[in-house]
Amino acid sequence: MTQYGFYFDSTRCTGCRTCEIACKDYKDLGVDFAYRHVYDCEGGDWQMQSDGTYTQDCFVYHVSLGCQHCDDPACVKVCPTTAMHKDASTGLVSVDEHKCIGCGYCHMACPYNAPKVDREKGHSVKCNGCAERVAEGKNPICVDACPLRALDFGSIEDIRKKYDGVDSVPPLPDASYTHPNIVVKKCPAAARAKNVAGLVANPLEVM
Amino acid sequence: MPNMNVNRRTFVKTAGALGALAAVGGTAATGSLFEPTTPAFAEAPDEIHWSQCNVNCGGNCIFQWHSKDGKIQYMETDNLGSTDLQARACLRGRAMRRWLNSPDRLMYPMKRVGKRGEGKFERISWDEAIDIIVEKLKTTIDKYGNEAIYINYATGMYSATGRVPIQRLLSLLGGYVNQGYDYSTHMLQAVMPYMYGSASNIADPKTGLHKTLGKKATKFSPYDNVNASSFSEAEAHSDLVVMFGNSPAETRMGGANAVWDYALMREAVLGRGGKIVNIDFRLNESSSGHPDEWLPIRPGTDAALVSAIAYEWIKGDKVDKEFLDKYCVGYDDDRMPESAKGQNKSYKDYIMGTGYDKIEKTPEWAAPITQIPASKIRELADMIASAKAPFICQGWGSQRHTNGEDTTRAICMLPILIGKIGLPGTNTGQREAEPPTYLVGKIPFTNPIKTTLPVYQWVNAVDHGHKMTAKNAGIMGAEKLGSDLKFIWNYAGNCLTNQHGDINYTHEILSDESKCEFILVWDTVMTDSAKYADLLLPDAMRSEQMNLQTQGYSEYYTAVVVGTPAQEPPGECRSNYDVCADIADRFGLKNEFTEGRTHDDWVEYLYKKGAQADDKMPSWEQIKEQGVYKRALEPAIGLKSFRDDPDEHPLATPSGKIEIYSETLAGLNDTWELAEDEVINPIPVFSEGFHGYGSVTSEFPLYCSGFHHKSRTHSSFGFIEELEKVARQQLWINPADAEPRNIMDGDMLAVKSPVGEIRIEAKVTPRIVPGTVGIPQGAWHKADMFGDKIDTGGCVNTLTAYKPSPLAKGNGTAHSMIVQVSKA
Amino acid sequence: MQFSVAELPLALFTTLAPLGAGAFVALACAFFTTSFSDEQLKKIDRGTIIPLAIVIVGFICAFFHLASPMNAPSVFLGAGSPMSNEIIAGCVFAIVAIVYVIVTNAGKLCGSARKGFAAVVAVLAVVFAIFTGLAYVMSTIATWDTPLVPVQMLGFALVGGAATAAFVLATAGAWADACKGSFKSAVIGLAVVGAVLAIVDLVGQLAMASGMQNALVSGSELVSGALLPAIIGLALIVVAAALVFVSVKKEAATGLAAAAVIAALVGIFLARMAFYAIQMSVGIYFG
Repeated sequence: MTQYGFYFDSTRCTGCRTCEIACKDYKDLGVDFAYRHVYDCEGGDWQMQSDGTYTQDCFVYHVSLGCQHCDDPACVKVCPTTAMHKDASTGLVSVDEHKCIGCGYCHMACPYNAPKVDREKGHSVKCNGCAERVAEGKNPICVDACPLRALDFGSIEDIRKKYDGVDSVPPLPDASYTHPNIVVKKCPAAARAKNVAGLVANPLEVM
Repeated sequence: MPNMNVNRRTFVKTAGALGALAAVGGTAATGSLFEPTTPAFAEAPDEIHWSQCNVNCGGNCIFQWHSKDGKIQYMETDNLGSTDLQARACLRGRAMRRWLNSPDRLMYPMKRVGKRGEGKFERISWDEAIDIIVEKLKTTIDKYGNEAIYINYATGMYSATGRVPIQRLLSLLGGYVNQGYDYSTHMLQAVMPYMYGSASNIADPKTGLHKTLGKKATKFSPYDNVNASSFSEAEAHSDLVVMFGNSPAETRMGGANAVWDYALMREAVLGRGGKIVNIDFRLNESSSGHPDEWLPIRPGTDAALVSAIAYEWIKGDKVDKEFLDKYCVGYDDDRMPESAKGQNKSYKDYIMGTGYDKIEKTPEWAAPITQIPASKIRELADMIASAKAPFICQGWGSQRHTNGEDTTRAICMLPILIGKIGLPGTNTGQREAEPPTYLVGKIPFTNPIKTTLPVYQWVNAVDHGHKMTAKNAGIMGAEKLGSDLKFIWNYAGNCLTNQHGDINYTHEILSDESKCEFILVWDTVMTDSAKYADLLLPDAMRSEQMNLQTQGYSEYYTAVVVGTPAQEPPGECRSNYDVCADIADRFGLKNEFTEGRTHDDWVEYLYKKGAQADDKMPSWEQIKEQGVYKRALEPAIGLKSFRDDPDEHPLATPSGKIEIYSETLAGLNDTWELAEDEVINPIPVFSEGFHGYGSVTSEFPLYCSGFHHKSRTHSSFGFIEELEKVARQQLWINPADAEPRNIMDGDMLAVKSPVGEIRIEAKVTPRIVPGTVGIPQGAWHKADMFGDKIDTGGCVNTLTAYKPSPLAKGNGTAHSMIVQVSKA
Repeated sequence: MQFSVAELPLALFTTLAPLGAGAFVALACAFFTTSFSDEQLKKIDRGTIIPLAIVIVGFICAFFHLASPMNAPSVFLGAGSPMSNEIIAGCVFAIVAIVYVIVTNAGKLCGSARKGFAAVVAVLAVVFAIFTGLAYVMSTIATWDTPLVPVQMLGFALVGGAATAAFVLATAGAWADACKGSFKSAVIGLAVVGAVLAIVDLVGQLAMASGMQNALVSGSELVSGALLPAIIGLALIVVAAALVFVSVKKEAATGLAAAAVIAALVGIFLARMAFYAIQMSVGIYFG
C-alpha cells in the first residue's frame, strides 16, 4: 500500500481560503459544507505605556486542514457500518454512501473536524483526498489551487522525506490519537500559540 | 518560461502526466483501485475553456473551465508549466461559477418604475432599451452638450473589450467628461508627480523630452516598473524590506500576483539574515505566521513616524547629503528654489524644528501620535540606516487618507534621505513595480473632450458641476466644467453608491431627478448602484463570450489569454459591444464604430496587433488552440537610469530632480481656492487631516478605517454566500476598546459616524491597534433609503464623509473616519 | 447550553431505552422476591408492555437521528465498533424482551421458567445500558472518555427502571404485596444506587470536563452552559428515587409511581442534554 498524505506550510499560508473554495467548487458544495477548513489562530496581548504608546506580542497564523487520512482514523474506528473506510491501496479515507446510515459518530469522533453528515444526501461527507483525481495522476484540487504553494500531496513517505515538519501544531490534537498523515511546516507564530480555548478565532467560519 | 505550447485537445492527458510526476513521484496507482465517492465527475468533462478573472484586484488570474453539455462543471486554474509561474485564481476567482450561475443574475433589460434608488423595475425589450438610450443621448447632448455626459468610475470588468465599447461609442458622439486619477491611488496619483515627475513637464508625449532640460525624462506612474522596483529585485538583493500600508496577501491574492512574489521575497530575505517590517494598523495577512514583522501604527500617522526617523538620522548624521545635493531639491537650504531660499522652508527645517511649526520631530513627539514607543522608533531608524539594501515601499492604504497627499510623499523620504534609490535591492518608497509590458491592447477610441474631473468629484459635479473650476475643484484639461452631469453611464461598477463616499448624501443627490436626469446601469447582478438606474441592462460575462485580456497590472509577469465561451449567457444578456454597435447604428455611425468587425473579429485583430509588436507571442492559430501564453519578467530597479546619470535621465519635475520641496505645490496653495481647514503642503509633512489624528470626540471616540477583505474585490463577489461564510464581514476591534463597551466576539454592533450608521458583527481581536476600529470595505449596502437609512449590510461608505482631499480632491475619508461603536 | 436539535433524538433514545430496560431489572427482582397471584401476574405482564413500549419508542427516536435510516441494517457490518455493539446489545435485549412479553402475556410461563427468563432479560438490560454508555466513550472526545459514562447510564437505567417497575406493579395491584417482602429493600436499593451512580458520575464528569480545553472552547465554558440542566436533571432523579422510597409504604402508590416515572424521564433527559453539551474533542470540535 502507498499511504497518501498532505503537506502544509504554515509559514506561507495567508489564510486566504482558496483551497477551501476551490474544493467547494469542484465538489459542488453549498454554504453549509466544506471538506477543507482554514483555521485562524490568533492571540497575544497589548501593554499600554505611560506615554500612550503600546507594546504587544500578538500573532496570527493559519492552518488549512482537510482530512488527514490517518493511520488509525477515529472516524473509521467508531463507524458502525464500515461505510467509513480506509482504501487498501492508497490509505485515503472515504465514505461508502450505500452503507452509511448518517449517524454522525464519525463527525463526533474526528478530532480534525473532517466528516460531517449531509442529511439531504443522507450520508456522511468528507475530503476523500480527491481519490478520483489522484487515480488520474493529478493532485487534489486544493493543492494545485493554493496561490502560495503552501500545500502538497503525495505518498506520505515521499512527503516526509521532502519536507521538514511536524505532525501536530495547535489547534491540531496530539498525533498519538489517530496517527495523521500530514506534515506541517511550523511558522514562528505557532511558537507563541498554546492549544487553549479561543486560539481558533473564526469558529463561525469553520464549524 | 519562454513559450507555452500546449494543445488544447491533448491538454488533459499532458496535465495528467505532469500532475503525476509532481504529485505522486511516479507512484501513481492504477485507476481501478479508486472508488470515487462522488460520481459527478467520474467521466472527465470533455471541454476546456479558458478565461480570466476580470475584477479589480488587478490580477487577471487565469480560469480553466471544465464544461459539459454547454454548462460549466467546475474550475481548475492555471496549471500550465512551472508551478512558480502560474496565475492561480484566489478564493474569489474560484467562486466565479457561483456568480455566473447565480439566481440573482440580471436577465432582461429593465426600466425603473419606482422612485430612483428604490430598486423597482419592469422588464422591457432590447429595442425599447436602445430607443431610450438613443433618445436620452440626443436630448442630453442637444440641451447640455457632451460635457453633461459622464462614464462613472467602474472596475468590475478588465478586458480588452470590456468597457471600451462604451467609451468608443460616446467618443464618436462627441465625447464625455474624462476621469482623472482613480479610487485606488487618488491622493498618490495627484501629488507624486510633483515629487517624482509629471507629464506636464514633458514637451511632447511622443518624444518624452523634458520641457526645459531637453532630455528624455521619467514621469511618475503608480503602474510601471520604472518608478518602483519589483519584489523580485528585493528577493535578489535586499536585506531589509519595510512596508507601509501594504498587504499583498489581501489586495493581490492570486498565484502569479504580488502575494506570491512577496512570499518568495520573504524566504530569500530571511534566508540571508534580513528582516521584514510590516507597518499597518492591523496585523494583516501578509504577516500571517510571522508576527515579529508587524509594527502596529495608528492609521494616518505614517508621516509622523517617518519624520521621527528623519530626525534621528539627521541628528545622527546618517543622511546621505551628497545624494540629497545631487539628486534632490528642498532637503535643506543649500538646495531650495530661489523663491523659498532663506525662509526656513526646507524639509530639514521642518524636521529639526526650525521651520513651519517650530516643533522638533523627535521620537518622543511621534510616539503618542503613532502609538509606537520612542525606543521602537529609534530601533527602526537604526535598522533602516544600517541596512545595505533596504527596500522601502508603500501600498495604497496609507495614501487613502485625508492627509494622503502628505503621507505618500513622506514615506518616500526614507529611501531619499539615505540615498537608497536606484541601487540593487532598493526601492523608491513607492509600491512594488508592476509589469512594463501588456501584450495586447484594447478596442481604441479618442475622446474629443479633454475636460477631466477628479474621479471622486462626480457627485459634486452632479450637484453643482457648472460652478466647478480648476482652482476650486481640481478640474483638469479645462478651466471649468462645462455643465452639471446629466447623463451617467455606469457599466460594471458599484461606485454610484456602495464604493463611493457618504452613501446617504449620494442618495440625496441621485434621488433628485432634476439633477442627474438619466442613469444607465449595465451589470450582471442587482448591485446597490443598480437600484439607482433609470435603465438597467443585463451584461454577458466574459466566460460567456469570446474573451481577451493580458496579465493584470498588479502581477509581475507577462501573459495573454484568448478564451472561448464556457457556457451560453443566460436570459437576454448581451455583449455590450453588440449593443453599442446597435446604438451606433441608430446614429448612422455603425461602420465608424465597428470598422466592419464583430466582437470576435476585434479579439482576433487586437491579438494579431499585439503579436506583431512582440516577437515571442504565438500565432493566432496557436493561441486559439492553447488559450494561454505567458512569460516571466526580469527584476526591475526603480529610477535606476536617473540614479546612474541624472543629467542624461532627469525626472519630469521642473528641476529634473526629486522635489522634496515643490515650488509648484507652494504655488497651488497660494492660488487655489481652499477651505479653511485645507492646506497644500510643498514638503511632505505630518498633517492630521480631516477626521484624522486628534479629531475624535466624546460622541465619536474611535478612529475607523476601511481595509480590503479577502471575501471580495471591492464590492465584486459581495453577494456570494459561500465567500461570506468563510470570511465574514466583521468589524475589527481591540479587546481594550471592546471590554468597556461590553462587546463580545460575534456580537452585532451599531456603528455611528457623523454621516451614517451601520450594523456589523464584532471581531474582537488583538490584531488591531487600540483606539481604532477597522471595517472591511466593499460589503453590500442594505438600507431602507426612504426610511431609517440604517445599513444592515455593513458597508463602510455609509460612514465615510464626502469631503474631497485638498489637492487631489480624492477619497481620503475611506481610511479616516471617526465613529462610536456599541452593541446593537 | 448549546441546545442542539440534532441531538434531540439521541437524547430521547438514551433516556427512554435505558429507563425502559431498567424496569425489566426491577421486575425480575420482584419475581425473585415475591409470589404474585395469577391475577396479579396477568396484570403485571400486561403492564410490562409499558417499559417495552418505552424502549421501542426510544429506538424509533434513534432511528430518526439517522440521515439514512433505510441503510440501518448495515450496522451489523461494523460489529465490534462501539455503536454497533450498542445496537446489537440493544437489539438482542429488545428481541428477547419482546419474546418475553409475548410469552408471558400468552400465559405460557410460570414459576421458575418465568424467573429464569426474567433474569435473562434483566441481565441483557444491564448489558444494553452499559453498552449504550460505552458507545460514547472514545479517546478523541476528552470529556466523554471515562468509565463514568457507562456507569452513569447504568445508574439512569436502575433508578428510572425502579420507578417504572413500581408503576407497573402499582397499576397491577401488586405493589403493596411486593413491598411486604424483601422486594421493598431491593427496589429502594435499585433506586438509590441508580441515583447515586447518576449523580456521582455526572458530577464527576462535569468536574473533569471543567478542567479541560481545546482550541475552540474551554471546558469550564461548556460546563457552565450545562450546569442548569445537570442540576435540575439530577434533582429530578433524586426526586424519582425519593418517590420510590416513599411509595413503598403506601397501599395505593399508582400516583406516586407515575410521578416518579415522570421525574425520572425528565431528569434523565436533562442529564443527557447536559452530557451532550459538554462534548469536547481533543482536537478541533465541540458539540
